[in-house]
Amino acid sequence: MSDNKPSKAKKWTRRAFIGTGGLLGVGLIVGVGGNWYLSKNAYNYSGKGFGDGHSLNAWIRISPDNRITIAVPRAEMGQGVHTSVPMLIAEELEVRMSDIDIIEPQPEPAYANTLLLNENPKDIHGSLKFMEKISHFLPLVATGGSTTIPDGYDYMRSAGATAREMLIQAAAEKWGVDKSECYAKDAQVINRKTNERFTYGELAEAASGIKLSGIPKFKEKKDWKLLGKPVQRLDIPNKVNGKAVFGLDARPEGVLYGAIRHATYHDGVINGVTNQAEIEAMPGVRKVVLLPKGMGVVAVADNTWRAKNAILAMQLDETGDKTLSSEKVEEHATEVVDGEMIAAPMNEGDAQAVLDNAEGVIEATYDVPYLAHACMEPINCTVLVKGDKAEAWVGHQGSSIVLDGVNAGAGVKKAGITVNNLYLGGGFGRRAEIDMVVNAAYVASQMEGTPIQLVYTREEDIRHEMYRPYAKAKFRAKLNEDGSIEAWENKLALQSVGYSSIMRIKPAFADSPAKDASTPEGAIHLPYNMKNAYMGFGQMELPIQVGNWRSVGNSHNGFFTECFIDECANAVGKDPYEYRKSLITKHPRFSAVLDKVAEMSNWGKPLPENRFHGIALLKSFRSIVAQVAEVTKVGDNQFSIDKFYCVIDCGRVVNPDTVEAQMVSGIIFGLSAALYGEITFKDGEVEQFNFPQYEMVRMNVAPTVEVHIMDVDEYPGGVGEPSTPPAAPALANALFAATGQRIRSLPLKNHGYEFV
Amino acid sequence: MELKINGKLHTVDVEENMPLLWVLRDELNMTGTKYGCGVASCGACTVHADGIPVKTCMLPASAFEGQEITTIEGIAEEGQLSDIQKAWIEHQVPQCGYCQSGMIMAAEALLNENPNPTDEDIDATMTNICRCGTYQRIREAIHTAAKNRQEKTELPG
Repeated sequence: MSDNKPSKAKKWTRRAFIGTGGLLGVGLIVGVGGNWYLSKNAYNYSGKGFGDGHSLNAWIRISPDNRITIAVPRAEMGQGVHTSVPMLIAEELEVRMSDIDIIEPQPEPAYANTLLLNENPKDIHGSLKFMEKISHFLPLVATGGSTTIPDGYDYMRSAGATAREMLIQAAAEKWGVDKSECYAKDAQVINRKTNERFTYGELAEAASGIKLSGIPKFKEKKDWKLLGKPVQRLDIPNKVNGKAVFGLDARPEGVLYGAIRHATYHDGVINGVTNQAEIEAMPGVRKVVLLPKGMGVVAVADNTWRAKNAILAMQLDETGDKTLSSEKVEEHATEVVDGEMIAAPMNEGDAQAVLDNAEGVIEATYDVPYLAHACMEPINCTVLVKGDKAEAWVGHQGSSIVLDGVNAGAGVKKAGITVNNLYLGGGFGRRAEIDMVVNAAYVASQMEGTPIQLVYTREEDIRHEMYRPYAKAKFRAKLNEDGSIEAWENKLALQSVGYSSIMRIKPAFADSPAKDASTPEGAIHLPYNMKNAYMGFGQMELPIQVGNWRSVGNSHNGFFTECFIDECANAVGKDPYEYRKSLITKHPRFSAVLDKVAEMSNWGKPLPENRFHGIALLKSFRSIVAQVAEVTKVGDNQFSIDKFYCVIDCGRVVNPDTVEAQMVSGIIFGLSAALYGEITFKDGEVEQFNFPQYEMVRMNVAPTVEVHIMDVDEYPGGVGEPSTPPAAPALANALFAATGQRIRSLPLKNHGYEFV
Repeated sequence: MELKINGKLHTVDVEENMPLLWVLRDELNMTGTKYGCGVASCGACTVHADGIPVKTCMLPASAFEGQEITTIEGIAEEGQLSDIQKAWIEHQVPQCGYCQSGMIMAAEALLNENPNPTDEDIDATMTNICRCGTYQRIREAIHTAAKNRQEKTELPG
């Protein structure tokens, strides 16, 4: 199917961004194959932290009492991978979920996320040497870009299948029978003839010495016991009784608490604390540590509240640009969007010539603001430094980035660092950053022997982070009488997320912002037929850090594209669903998803008075999502978002309950941004401090969501992000249906809309 | 000062104005109650004081002397999960889970006050923030827990 073929634009994409790869994004990954499990690096692991028993490979260790320890090298931030990864292994290993204990292993080469290093493992497999070379110095063990399942689908099943065959062979040897006379079930190997059985625990030692050639065949889909069925998440019981340990809950012996105060201005420098003696004399305060380059200052105390009071009482000697403002950002965006583009990842035919010479060209300019991630758990990291050893306790999307961060902040060699990756109270891309680790490690290095828990108060988190960039897009389109697109042009201005983040994490790998594959995602590879199509982007240069924010480029491009396509439908007097359908004739998977959401929402049928529908469709992170927003006008500019209908084609499904949860989650995340989200600048400072100024969708505003998962027997796509991008355009299109007012900027609160 | 938490007396030596949240988390290492905003907006720090749900990130611990404080660690009875906790598992509510201690405490209080809440009651009472957007399942779980609680009380003897 065409959706599954590697795209031509691929070669243009990345290389420069290896290392983060746009940790949460680069939604151009198409077509997956090959098997990391076969590579030499799959055996490069220490087994540290695994407990008793015998390892059959990097992911599976079996104890004599038949407990199966599964190493899950991906971060659990609510997306359910501490369950879905074990499911992939358990299915092939023939064990029950109740047989399993999980650990998160050290960030060793075996656990690298191959999709974040290259969007197509088939290519990697074809040039394994290149991959191995990269992995030796850069085993990127990280979670993002909705890659856990697409990355692990084959090699996690390989790990389970090979271990199963090793156990069967061990049993066959003990019985002196042929392997074919044995089978595996519920963590036992059973002799077909005699019905004798060995537990895996009894076989593990012998099995661990067996070498197989190649990978056994995977089970057929029809024989699956776990995959594709709703499985209860292993992490949930401890998330209802207060026992789940998040980064901020780490309490190593003797821990002290540090609160950070960043330089007020985004390119600012703190020279010192003028009342330092006074601060150090405050109750419980142990030390004031100025961070390298004056980017911040940390007060360390015996209680977080005392540390927080200390940073609030600090008088800073600092410098910085006090002239930065949102008005300046917008003016600069206009210059850039009207100027020379630095890259044109979509350029078919000659859209510009057609548009310059055509009559009746539709034009529209869109923009969206900076956004904070606002993870529910404030950003934090705990580090202990002792001589040439260090230990970190943190909930992080990249356990290998934690190694980099402790190394950079404390100067401890990576071999001496232990990472305890705990639960993440939200990640959304923010927890793929290195800053909290470097800063905590630096402070810990100044207080050797004492574990330091560094926390960013909510205010510091919201005012000083790596925002989803402000983005402005300028569209032109020429439509034929039948509505078909003769020419489409989209010029985009923003700060490159890939460039900004690689400069923070691995500056040596930085290349031009022109090569950032995350910038155009959601604006190219559209399913719509277009005769002449152009998409280009320009780079905004501002002293503001930008980063990966759930769905990355798709978060703004999805809004721009799916609203502008609605404008096109309106311009030719067509129904928004019918119009999209008429343009996606070459993409049956898109058509099926779009048709399904129309069917679910009764699209086109008469609606009760004051009720309106809006629709959006976007492929991101290898999955196709369509949504219909259903709103009721309850007063002047006052709306209730009653319901979202959401359909996803993510290929083969691992845990449908998780897919459903992620669809709902992504929509609410997108709606918080659409309704309220904006980070603005005035006199060089961020104007928002905390939730009262940076509001979230709460229970009373949250719509009900009805999810349908398409039954498609194709390689799996991601599910953590793809439901976020369509939420805002579906809603804005519904508001257009209700009011006739076209929304071309967010958040909606700035247009006077109120949601109840 | 003396604080009675989950039925147990604790003596702590802290400033009069230290919020209860930081006494729980950093003095007593009871980390189930969460820090989310520090301005009583998100509700992650919700506990019960004499059965009433309160946000603890601003209120001084000294204000709780003499009250029965219940935290997320204290709502299971004799090792048995509460109906709310069971419903939370049945509906697979938590995602990242960070807000859920506060959500569960708010839901427990809601059902204590109003055994059979309508959707409107839930909207009006459950005002905490969940960044993962688990509201739909929270709503369903509250209805399930309400039903289960009522069935229990209706059982004879």
